Amino acid sequence: MDLEFDEATLAFREQVRDWLATNVPERPLESFNTARGFEQHRAWEAKLADAGYAAVAWPAAYGGRDASLLEWLVFEEEYYAAGAPARVNQNGIFMLAPTLFSHGTEEQRARILPEMARSDRVWAQAWSEPDAGSDIAALRSTATRTEGGWLLSGQKTWSSRAAFADSAFGLFRSEPDSERHKGLTYLMFDLDAEGVQVRPIAQLDGEYGFAEIFLDNVFVPDSDVLGEPNDGWRVAMTTANNERGLSLRSPGRFLASAERLVDLWCREGDPTDTALGERVADAWIGARAYQLYTFNTVSRLAEGGELGPESSVNKLYWSHLDVALHETALDLLGPSAELTGESAPDTGRWSSGYLFSLAGPIYGGTDQIQRNIVAERLLGLPRESTASKNRGAT
Amino acid sequence: MPGTTDEQEELARTIRSVLEREPGPDRLTSQAAPSHGYDAKLWSVLCEQVGVAALAVPERFDGLGAGVRELQVAAEELGKDLTPNPLLGSAALATRALLESGDEQACERILPRIATGEALATLAWAGADGRWDPDEPACTARQDGAQHALDGTAHYVLDGDLADVLVVAAAHAGSVALFEVDPGQGAVTREHTPAMDQERRLATVSLHGARGTRLAGADGATALRRARDTACAVLAAEQAGAAARALEVTVEYTKNRVQFGRPIGSFQALKHRMADMHVLVETARSVSYAAGEAIDAGSEEAEQAVLAATVHCSDALSRVASEMIQLHGGIAITWEHDAHRYFKRAHSSAQLFGQPHEHLERLLRV
Ligand SMILES: Cc1cc2nc3c(=O)[nH]c(=O)nc-3n(C[C@H](O)[C@H](O)[C@H](O)COP(=O)(O)OP(=O)(O)OC[C@H]3O[C@@H](n4cnc5c(N)ncnc54)[C@H](O)[C@@H]3O)c2cc1C
Repeated sequence: MDLEFDEATLAFREQVRDWLATNVPERPLESFNTARGFEQHRAWEAKLADAGYAAVAWPAAYGGRDASLLEWLVFEEEYYAAGAPARVNQNGIFMLAPTLFSHGTEEQRARILPEMARSDRVWAQAWSEPDAGSDIAALRSTATRTEGGWLLSGQKTWSSRAAFADSAFGLFRSEPDSERHKGLTYLMFDLDAEGVQVRPIAQLDGEYGFAEIFLDNVFVPDSDVLGEPNDGWRVAMTTANNERGLSLRSPGRFLASAERLVDLWCREGDPTDTALGERVADAWIGARAYQLYTFNTVSRLAEGGELGPESSVNKLYWSHLDVALHETALDLLGPSAELTGESAPDTGRWSSGYLFSLAGPIYGGTDQIQRNIVAERLLGLPRESTASKNRGAT
Repeated sequence: MPGTTDEQEELARTIRSVLEREPGPDRLTSQAAPSHGYDAKLWSVLCEQVGVAALAVPERFDGLGAGVRELQVAAEELGKDLTPNPLLGSAALATRALLESGDEQACERILPRIATGEALATLAWAGADGRWDPDEPACTARQDGAQHALDGTAHYVLDGDLADVLVVAAAHAGSVALFEVDPGQGAVTREHTPAMDQERRLATVSLHGARGTRLAGADGATALRRARDTACAVLAAEQAGAAARALEVTVEYTKNRVQFGRPIGSFQALKHRMADMHVLVETARSVSYAAGEAIDAGSEEAEQAVLAATVHCSDALSRVASEMIQLHGGIAITWEHDAHRYFKRAHSSAQLFGQPHEHLERLLRV
């Protein structure tokens, strides 16, 4: 691992910083979990895409700029340091796109990626079901063969952004009597297609951050199968590794929060409260540690490694770091941090961030699932006996 | 040894039966739901049939003459479902401040109405920094003819915009005194301040030369200290009740939720965490009871017992409520499930009447 950036990378950092300095909206956009905020974020994404910043690591042909993973990390650092808007199409750009690169056809990439880069089409992940959360292999929604494609039926839930998004990608049981990981197919479908019903669900801040999706014989053409039919599980693991490690939550986000926390401490901390001061320092160290670990991963990938079960290490690390960062900020702010609305300090950013951080150890596979993966796959510890096999494989 | 007497058990049962009988307050099912104060009808039933607001009011002021322990019993029961109620601000904090002021006439005038539940009282004290310091209240008072004029803004005033009786702690002539201020006068503005915990109503109370009557009697700072002890002990019991219910709900859920072909509660990783939660719940209950008993007994160690209860019960509820969320998984991140209410209450309660580290510092001093 080499933390000395070369000239080109440093120049890229400068360029990104300058662009963000002039383009990041002065007033924060409304939350993307509201209808209005969603469209504001969509417009912001189009602006990013026009400048070539929506997906820097993609090939230029699809709307990227052929940046290296290292440059992408640098972009992310600058992006969050500048306080730029949250990425409304994150589940498309950071989860579906890498899956398309690994398993999609050229036709699919050419059709889907440019539209995704501009967020003309915003994507939601439709995996979880009421009875298949941690145990995603227990999913029951079906894909039934029909002339020229598939008919999807069943119920998906907790689908982030689905309340306002355009399309979704999900796993469906395509072999009627198949068990668990076998007989699943990875499909993409439109959320306004005939037979789709979306019911928004309010999250802890009261906003519609995710939704249930009901599917009743929804037609999907063969061209929207990602990977081979019945090979969905393998395809899904690419998505999951990108969700947990690296792409979805890069270090830039946490470094920026850590810097804001240090600022807050310098401005408002009580220097005699050493216990709290130590937590601030710990949070900052934590963000640095995650950055360094991720640089390491990127070096490994650059040398031809794959994003495997190691991504669970990222997931465990960042999700706990994020909770600790926010908890520390709230303790620092004291009772005023409880307030919402106009009296809230820093427009309530810390408190709403705190509520969202609570979900970090849950989405993308809970802590327990990540710990099982680390313990079993990375440490080689024996499995606990369970009624069903492959526990913790999601 | 802290414990529960037969009468206290009976009190708890009575409150439970009222809560079961009365339809609960409108559930908070979306952010659009009006953030009302408490359910006035339920509160009046609790006052008429159980006398919850009269518990800590002496019999000579038409109260039941019970103690802090009894207030705790009520708070614990109400805390289980997080039933919004004005017990803490009115029947505990403001009532105690009035009593501790030693102003018999004011007590005679005000407390009977509080005891019946006709009137709601509140104490305006802390500033924006939320320090509830008995020696440094947010407001100031100056002599103005036979009365006093008060200025300043008090924050985090419990039910502050709803209360009929406003007691204000104010710095006056080098010390601290308590004043009765008519909240209806033009020089008083009160504003509800929305908070993450939408079910504990807080307000700011601003005084712009408001006229107030000084409560005769003891030193204001001492009265505030004692009122805070009572409020903290009652809050600790509420936290213990909430933590107990949060654990109960979690245990029930994990027994029934099946993943990987078995109830998730059968995974050791979760079982052990719930066992730890149980330890917290049980100790929280004991520590909170001990604080109430020490106050009622006039023990010299009351302050210490209260501080221990405040710190431990805040910590217990905070930890149990965050575990409740994690052990439920995705469903706990929705407004449709109760877990977030416990979590938000845990957080707001831990900041009420002073921050945890301030309590710890005081504990090291006593
Ligand atoms: C904010 C948020 C956004 C989300 N976005 C999406 C999305 O866009 N698309 C999507 O498809 N899904 C999404 N999800 C769903 C998410 O992936 C699931 O919530 C998660 O996988 C957990 O499943 P569950 O909620 O059913 O909990 P459960 O699986 O029921 O888990 C409950 C508890 O049991 C524990 N547990 C389960 N199995 C084991 C085991 N083997 N050993 C020990 N403990 C175990 C869990 O760790 C947890 O503590 C989102 C969730 C949240 C909270």
